[in-house]
Amino acid sequence: MSELRTGEKISLLNGGFVTIKKELGRGGQGIVYLVDLNGQPKALKWYHNMPDVSFYNNLANNVMNGAPSSAFLWPERISERQKGSFGYVMALRPQNYFEFGNFLLAKKSFKSFQAMMAAAMKICNGFMMLHRFGYSYQDLNDGNFFIDPDTGDVLICDNDNVMPQGEKSGIMGKARYMAPEIVAGGIPDKYSDRFSLSVILFMLFYANHPFEGAKVVACPCMTEAYEKKFYGSEAVFIYDPNNKTNLPVRGIHQNVIRRWPVMPAELRDTFIREFSPEMLKNPQSRMIEQNWGKLIASLRDKLVICPHCGEETFIDEAKPQCMNCGRDVDVRRRLKLGLRTLLLTNGTRLFIDYDNTPDARVAVNPQDRNMLLLQNLTKEKWTAETPSGKVKSVEPNEFMPVKHGIKVGFNAANKGEIIINNQ
Amino acid sequence: MSLLDETVSVPRRTMTLFFMIDTSGSMAGSKIGAVNDAVVNVLPMLDEISVTNPDAEIKVAALEFSTGCNWLYNEPKLANEFVWQDVQANGLTSLGAACEELENKLSRSKGFMQSASGSFAPAIILLSDGAPTDNYEAGLAKLKANNWFKSAIKVAIAIGDDADKEVLAKFTGTNEAVFTVHNIDALKQIIRVVAVTSSQIGSKSSTAGDTTKQDQVISEVQNAVDNIDGAEVATKVDGSSYSDDWD
Repeated sequence: MSELRTGEKISLLNGGFVTIKKELGRGGQGIVYLVDLNGQPKALKWYHNMPDVSFYNNLANNVMNGAPSSAFLWPERISERQKGSFGYVMALRPQNYFEFGNFLLAKKSFKSFQAMMAAAMKICNGFMMLHRFGYSYQDLNDGNFFIDPDTGDVLICDNDNVMPQGEKSGIMGKARYMAPEIVAGGIPDKYSDRFSLSVILFMLFYANHPFEGAKVVACPCMTEAYEKKFYGSEAVFIYDPNNKTNLPVRGIHQNVIRRWPVMPAELRDTFIREFSPEMLKNPQSRMIEQNWGKLIASLRDKLVICPHCGEETFIDEAKPQCMNCGRDVDVRRRLKLGLRTLLLTNGTRLFIDYDNTPDARVAVNPQDRNMLLLQNLTKEKWTAETPSGKVKSVEPNEFMPVKHGIKVGFNAANKGEIIINNQ
Repeated sequence: MSLLDETVSVPRRTMTLFFMIDTSGSMAGSKIGAVNDAVVNVLPMLDEISVTNPDAEIKVAALEFSTGCNWLYNEPKLANEFVWQDVQANGLTSLGAACEELENKLSRSKGFMQSASGSFAPAIILLSDGAPTDNYEAGLAKLKANNWFKSAIKVAIAIGDDADKEVLAKFTGTNEAVFTVHNIDALKQIIRVVAVTSSQIGSKSSTAGDTTKQDQVISEVQNAVDNIDGAEVATKVDGSSYSDDWD
């Protein structure tokens, strides 16, 4: 085991060095130190024991290629091999980000569903980019994410097992998050990443585990043999419509029992499909991250502020009621954007693109309470065309009326039209 | 009120960490002092592992054995509720009686394993500096038939060279899980390493070579032992006892 002292200097590959300031934390694999790199505070992960050459070379390669997206606390520099081990330098985690485990333990809670959706979008986007770079993550579990509960921004850590798709790091993953084929002894790849991603998303949305219901609770002692069954060969989704043996248990799986019926139907349908016995056995047919992104955008388009109670609610268009106060919500005002339909109620924020930053806000016209307005929250001007053909521009922070038939160009890629259903 | 405000913690299975501590007369003095000190100091670490762990809640139970045996609490306790009463050393080494007593409690209906959301297989740490003075084989045979024990993580710490490592290896099922310590500092460190490693293992990623959780614990403790002066894995070759004959 190799430990470093305050003031010690660690030389980096390709020149330069970091100076150890203090220990920030330690785990099974290594110790994380606060270090100074040319006057910048950074984190250094230092391994307890020297990993093998291929691990080192892979990490050096990942450093060279750079992070797939801003979601990753990616290795920025790698040290030379010295003092019986080595380490890598990464950015420090900001104070306002908390481990996903804190959310599962209800010590931290998303400030809003908007933040929850932003977290889901950021995670999907991160893994989409990671796979697009040709990598697989291999060990996706609840310990890999730090989340800002207010904004839903995500930082993905522990990127040292990231490997080119098809290569093995030797890691299998964490029980309860591993894909059934990995539990059975397979090698992690991007397809098993996608299974773990769907488990993480389920837990993010419903705050319980998708395979832990009555059948699993009834098992008094979770041995390794049972783990292989319940998360592998005999895994049953808790809401499998064709197999009710593993339903969630009242008093134990409270969150999912409360949230499952009120969250949108398309989310339910997606998980029922993704966790069906057929899909568990067919890793290559699992949903790709891009489609998760589309689904999350579509959920967000139906997330509005209830005009009665002021809380956020998802709207089921077949039965537009607030999931908190139960009252009917007027969702006749919409923005059509390609195949998407964004519902407009006072106070709702609109996400036109997938960058997790609200692009518009719906407000009430103070002169006419029956008229809604759209405020431009972007830095670019919008171009609006009225049904009679007049062209107007909406500068950043300015408002435009929500009137039937107005076409809005938000930018070159996104053009929408306002629809009011009773007109 | 928003739905998000109603969120409760995910249910967690309980992982009970058992300490089985030899408190026979030969442990008197600095050995028992070190055990008391080490356990008191490891409890806050176990508490931290438990409160930050979304997979498992860690509880602690302790059985001391000398002429008879005695549970420090009559149920497993959360580490932050476990007030350690220093154990005293005197009497014989009734390991067989201790095995029977542990066997009684490794049961859901009549024992310690009653958690509502279920348990993980427990981790059991046996500490001894001598050889059993009772008929340990009968007690151990009963214990070995217990299903909780079969799937438990079992590690033994042999304190000094008088500890009967063969007996300890029978208890753990392998001599790789028997760690020998030769000084007080090593004893304290190894108690910490074994307790912390066993408690963390359920929430760690596994690697392709590890077949069982016990294997994972053994390999992590072995790594740590290499850096603790005065601690060794029981299987290591020890040439010291032959040196006199070859002078």
